[in-house]
Amino acid sequence: MNKSREELRIGVFICRCGNNIGGVIDVPKIVEYAKTQPNVVHTEENPYTCSSEGLSKIKEAIVKHNLNRVVVASCTPRTHEPLFRATCEEAGLNRYLFEMANIREHCSWAHMHEPEKATESAKEIVRIAIAKVRFLEPLEEPKIEITPSTLIIGAGISGLTAALSLSEQGFNVYILEKEAEAGGLLRKLHTLFPSGQDALDFIESIIEIIKVRGNINLLTSTVLKEVKGYLGNFEIIALQNNQREVRFKVGTIIVSTGALPLEPTGLYGYGEFDNIMTQLEFEQLLKNGLEEKVEKVVMIQCVGAREEKGITYCSRICCKVALKNALCIKELNSNIDVYILYRDLEAYGREYVDYYQKAQEQGIKFIRYRQEKPPNIIKDSDRKLKVGVFSPIIGKGIDIICDLVVLSTPLIHHQAGRDLSQILKVTLGSSGFFQEVHPKLRPVDFASEGIFLCGTAHGPKDIEESMAQALAAASKASIPMAKGIVKTEAVKAVVDKELCVGCGACVAVCPYNAIDWLSFGQPRIIEANCMGCGLCAAECPMGAMQLKHYQDNQLVPMINTLFESEKASVLKDEPSIVCFACRWCAYAAADTAGVMRLQYPCSIRIILVPCSGRVDAIHILTAFSRDADGVMVAGCLKDGCHYIDGNIKAERRVNAMKKALEVVGIEGDRVEMFFLSAGMPDKFVESVINFTDMINKLPRMRRTVRKERDLNV
Amino acid sequence: MYKIASKKELAPDIKLIEVYAKQIARKAKPGNFIILRVDDKGERIPITLAGCDINKGTISIAFHEVGKTTIKLGSLNRGDHVMNVVGPLGNATKIGKYGRVLCVGGGVMVAPLCFQAVALRDAGNELITVIGARTEEQVILRKEMKKISSELFIVTDDNSEGYSNLDFLKDLLTTTKIDYAMVMGPLVLMKEVTELTRPYNIKTMVNLNPIMVDGTGMCGACRVTIGGETKFTCTDGPEFDGHLVDFEELEVRRRMYVPKEKIAVLFYRIFGENI
Repeated sequence: MNKSREELRIGVFICRCGNNIGGVIDVPKIVEYAKTQPNVVHTEENPYTCSSEGLSKIKEAIVKHNLNRVVVASCTPRTHEPLFRATCEEAGLNRYLFEMANIREHCSWAHMHEPEKATESAKEIVRIAIAKVRFLEPLEEPKIEITPSTLIIGAGISGLTAALSLSEQGFNVYILEKEAEAGGLLRKLHTLFPSGQDALDFIESIIEIIKVRGNINLLTSTVLKEVKGYLGNFEIIALQNNQREVRFKVGTIIVSTGALPLEPTGLYGYGEFDNIMTQLEFEQLLKNGLEEKVEKVVMIQCVGAREEKGITYCSRICCKVALKNALCIKELNSNIDVYILYRDLEAYGREYVDYYQKAQEQGIKFIRYRQEKPPNIIKDSDRKLKVGVFSPIIGKGIDIICDLVVLSTPLIHHQAGRDLSQILKVTLGSSGFFQEVHPKLRPVDFASEGIFLCGTAHGPKDIEESMAQALAAASKASIPMAKGIVKTEAVKAVVDKELCVGCGACVAVCPYNAIDWLSFGQPRIIEANCMGCGLCAAECPMGAMQLKHYQDNQLVPMINTLFESEKASVLKDEPSIVCFACRWCAYAAADTAGVMRLQYPCSIRIILVPCSGRVDAIHILTAFSRDADGVMVAGCLKDGCHYIDGNIKAERRVNAMKKALEVVGIEGDRVEMFFLSAGMPDKFVESVINFTDMINKLPRMRRTVRKERDLNV
Repeated sequence: MYKIASKKELAPDIKLIEVYAKQIARKAKPGNFIILRVDDKGERIPITLAGCDINKGTISIAFHEVGKTTIKLGSLNRGDHVMNVVGPLGNATKIGKYGRVLCVGGGVMVAPLCFQAVALRDAGNELITVIGARTEEQVILRKEMKKISSELFIVTDDNSEGYSNLDFLKDLLTTTKIDYAMVMGPLVLMKEVTELTRPYNIKTMVNLNPIMVDGTGMCGACRVTIGGETKFTCTDGPEFDGHLVDFEELEVRRRMYVPKEKIAVLFYRIFGENI
């Protein structure tokens, strides 16, 4: 099975991580155990493997013992793998010949009160890592030359801010704007909070600078039609005025398409009476000044937002907009009474608490209402409206006769976002806004390399936040362009010509158009487009398509090794469950669960996959054809897959597998698909506990499957 | 039960078998297909005929071992039996005197193409033939095709033999007058060739291979869209005007069972015949 001919020499380094691992797990026992594994020629225990001393020990050992594979058993690869890989590389070992065993987050922290069980579990975790490292192959990271220009989609405040920043750094910028004028939503506003500055003046001053910058090309009335290529070499085709095709090449792309306010049709009599309007419409009114006879204005917050269904989120800006417009009214005429009916007032941060206090000082009245008892509006005499609201604080209803009702509606996503997400192959979140890879670690990045996002296209935010995010996106986009040449991920699809039958299943399933289908059926991988999700490998009916570093002949030995030796006596009561965890969500959730010291049974062994969509029948069946009592496949939330819809494809496969297992007498319930995000450690733990309970109710799998032939991968 | 009269390996994983089926051999014409079942648990698979011999009472079929059923079929030898064969099904290819005909075949489908090409040649047509595969060792029937063609081109995706793509056809079409074209092979090939001939208004027939169940027009599984109209490949085809075929739809429909087929192959490899 192993392609490399040289003799394997594996070094295993076990980290105590102070007391974090050493306080629970019997580390010397793990060291002794690792020594018994095939091809392991060197083992050692370190107080902290990631310390400079620990790292130099790895380097020394590689040289001294002529190691050609390294395993570090310590914490999660999601944080420390790059460091250890770099260390291997410094000692002359290819960085991909390294594997990590996560015995901290997934073991010592998760089973703190069961040191014996944790120690035996750690042995299995180390064994799995050694099994994989034996089959790893050296990989090279392709180098890509970067075109020093950026495409910015959307010329609102975010897009313009990013453009200015990139232009100042000396990069060419193309801005696409579907409207005839740049400026976006800001054009329609009256003033800005909290400064009170005129919105149009503000945005036009920025557009003026944009227009005179030699390296910014602002294309208005232009929409994106097609994007080909990859990081560093995107070929853009846009359509101007619905007729003229514009083509150019860029190295990076920033999505800043913005958002728009919800039109509250059918809510609070909107559309029925012309003196009921949205905040945006009210801004126009304020620009022209209010009519003399206006005496009372009522604003209603959270109109169509923070609902049980539909728009569930808080739009962040509406409370501040209401405060601003209420103060504007007072400035125009301090005799006008202003009421703000709110559910919760979100005036957080440095300046806005003062802003709120100022509003109170000016006599603006704040009345709280409950979601289940929203205000009602009826027509009163003489163009006036009667707003009835139940105040939970005084415990009775209040009627306000007013001249104007202003509804604060949330920002919502553009409908065209879906088309754009298809063109760019980037992810949309459940609320229809574009979704970043990770809210903290990669907050302005898409999973597709070289594409970034900012502003309200990502979710509601105010101008200050949008501009800050735009600068972040510009800064991220400038990194590859400043470098000129970058190395990209080496984990790419690879096809075995001998096994391929040319069915084209891989071509159809690839979310990134990274596979060409040649005339007679041969798939050809466009490496630069490949994002390394492995969906093609799972879809390939012949096992011909593989994902480097996560090949069947690397994953299958990991599963096999779990069941090759007798289970330790302390673990005998625990079922054996294999959990394939997506690195973006489930694996991360398990890490966080460890950090939070959430405890769960020692029943599961987690195998890291780039996407749940990489898991296919062969992996699940390998587990069952051995001894596994259950298999969990854990991917991102349904709308949150980092590879568009790998998790949905995984679910489809798991469901097909359930039926197939029944045919051979294995309960379909033994394999299950889970959807969670990186931020759901509690749900991860709950899933493990519930699944383990469920498996415990079933009989243990003891070779109920006839093992007539071993899996031949 | 239908006995296998002979078996020949045309390429690794591509086999040609002759089956005794006297009644079918008597009526079969190029372009017809049959449906066979290997055994009583097997699925029904449609295969286009690659030849027939009235005197011997045999029909020939070529197949590529790609799925559970074809793997099973490939394991049978001369003297073994297949459970049943039904045919001839579908419409025979239209053989006329067109003049100069371009025949393009890919992979295993070169075998049935050869059957039709012989008939076209016998009707007085001149043949320009392109055959190919993903790689050189899967290119089949070179000699047979050469014998009946005035010119033969070989193409392989991996450039291991002949041309590496179909770009040369563009030049050929501008310099040579072609009156009629026939393409059999992977969907991607049929799609590409029909696009190449479209500007020249060359009638281009393609032989479609959708998922099929009964083969007699009852189930509708093999429906395809031809010029906006729904047609059944089994009773209206399998040959259609390539310029009218909705290939995108066909591609999606054909892949419907890929995940299930993968599981079936895997289970067959692990558990063998027992399930």
